[in-house]
Amino acid sequence: MARTTVKGTGWIGRLFFFDLLAGLRLTLRYMFSKTVTHRYPDHEKWVPYERHRGHHFIKTNDEGDVNCVACELCSQICPCDCITVIPYENEKGDRRPKVFDINLARCLYCGLCEDACPADAIKLGQEYEVACDDRPKLVVHLEDLVAAPRKAADGGQVRPAKLEPGSGRRSVATAAAGAEGYDWWRHIRKGK
Amino acid sequence: MEYVLTLLPMLVKMAIVVGVLLLLPLPLTWMERKIAAHIQQRPGPMRVGWHGLLQPLADAVKLLTKEDHIPAEADRRLFAMAPVVALVPPFLVFTAIPFGDPVQVFGTEVSLMLSDMNVGLLFILAVSGIGVFGTILAGWASNSKYAVLGSLRSIAQMISYEIPMGFSVIGVVMLASSMNLSQIVAAQEGLWNVVVQPVGFFVFFVAGLAEAQRIPFDLPEAEGDLGAGYHTEYSGIRFSLFMLAEYLVVVMLAALNVLLFFGGWKGSPFFLPDTVWFLLKIGFFVWVFMWFRFTFPRYRYDQLMAIGWKVLLPLSLLNILVSGILML
Ligand code: SF4
Ligand code: SF4
Repeated sequence: MARTTVKGTGWIGRLFFFDLLAGLRLTLRYMFSKTVTHRYPDHEKWVPYERHRGHHFIKTNDEGDVNCVACELCSQICPCDCITVIPYENEKGDRRPKVFDINLARCLYCGLCEDACPADAIKLGQEYEVACDDRPKLVVHLEDLVAAPRKAADGGQVRPAKLEPGSGRRSVATAAAGAEGYDWWRHIRKGK
Repeated sequence: MEYVLTLLPMLVKMAIVVGVLLLLPLPLTWMERKIAAHIQQRPGPMRVGWHGLLQPLADAVKLLTKEDHIPAEADRRLFAMAPVVALVPPFLVFTAIPFGDPVQVFGTEVSLMLSDMNVGLLFILAVSGIGVFGTILAGWASNSKYAVLGSLRSIAQMISYEIPMGFSVIGVVMLASSMNLSQIVAAQEGLWNVVVQPVGFFVFFVAGLAEAQRIPFDLPEAEGDLGAGYHTEYSGIRFSLFMLAEYLVVVMLAALNVLLFFGGWKGSPFFLPDTVWFLLKIGFFVWVFMWFRFTFPRYRYDQLMAIGWKVLLPLSLLNILVSGILML
């Protein structure tokens, strides 16, 4: 961070308050630098990096079938015990989950389920707006997981957004052309 | 008829001054919040109106509709009186502050001040000294330990800093050979007093910060250790009266700094009206006070006293001595 240490000015420095002046100069520079506040949720939204661990999603294969083979490894490794998988055999004779519930109220977004999965099925995506006013709503099911947003390929930027009307009131990044995001870290003052 | 003609301009001027002073805290709070925000790289209020310009109005409505609470053990009459007592002196001070040379309106000469006193400066210093009574009463009447501590600190601080403040302007008075503010301004026609009286300005500025109880001398209302100091127990409209008084003191000090050391309304560039130039200078000083507020931490109490008695007082006395010798 920016420093204001004033050294080696001797008694002249003390007499004319060089230290206070240095502080004033620093705050003056800040006063006329760009603000860094995200105008979330109705003007801007932070799209997280690809590595971000948010709301889970389940990948599907070319046939539109879920990748998950219902091996239950994820629910075994989960430190919070929040994944419920009940397998069944589908008409093609494959083992697939009949029930796949994740209790997001318990989940700590550690990503262990993603690491454990042998079938490249469960992943943690970009979605982070999971707040709601009713705890049962936090238990998400298979169809929610298939529909959930993927990892953000263009993550790590602040995008123009608007507040979605309705009861959910989520902030959605506007996809329109010209709605370019910017790298937020560019605005942070570093060093001198 | 004669009577009306002399009284009418007076009444109009009074109405303008009181009206402006009552409304002044609205833009000032906005300004203060914006400055605080930008120093901390935030945008500040943005939602109510363009760039949050209507935020002070919303805040005012909120303050006025808040519950007006009086603590059970409080001295009710004093408690109700204190905000008004705190508010009157800053208003009174503005009767003696000139805003420009006399102007011609409809063929009659109208002076841009409420009262052209020969001892204007003395009047201002005396009246602003009374301001501490509001603080004392508020602290005492609240019957709360934080409030009493705040007002005790405030008394000691005001008394200590009034002395260097009074001494620091003596150099200015010596230069102008007058205590009349218009004449003090007129005496700075060619050269601002801050050039010839830098030490006087420094002492006056610092003592003024302490008088206005601004950071770094805001011990009477140190949030960290006293809740809110002397107005801890106040809420709603009474609290807003204290805020009003505080902002007015800040404006008053800015005006005094400009009048005494920065040439008042004289020498405005680009054909700006004198009064506008004067108000711009005041605005600059208000901005400086706010900039200080969000830069510095608070002094410790013993440091506060040491600065007042061991630094500012000798400095101001020395200033008088040196200016006296130089003027001989
Ligand atoms: S992220 Fe961690 S806590 Fe959440 S479901 Fe996966 S393993 Fe469990
Ligand atoms: S998501 Fe992966 S680990 Fe979990 S049951 Fe399906 S295949 Fe197994």
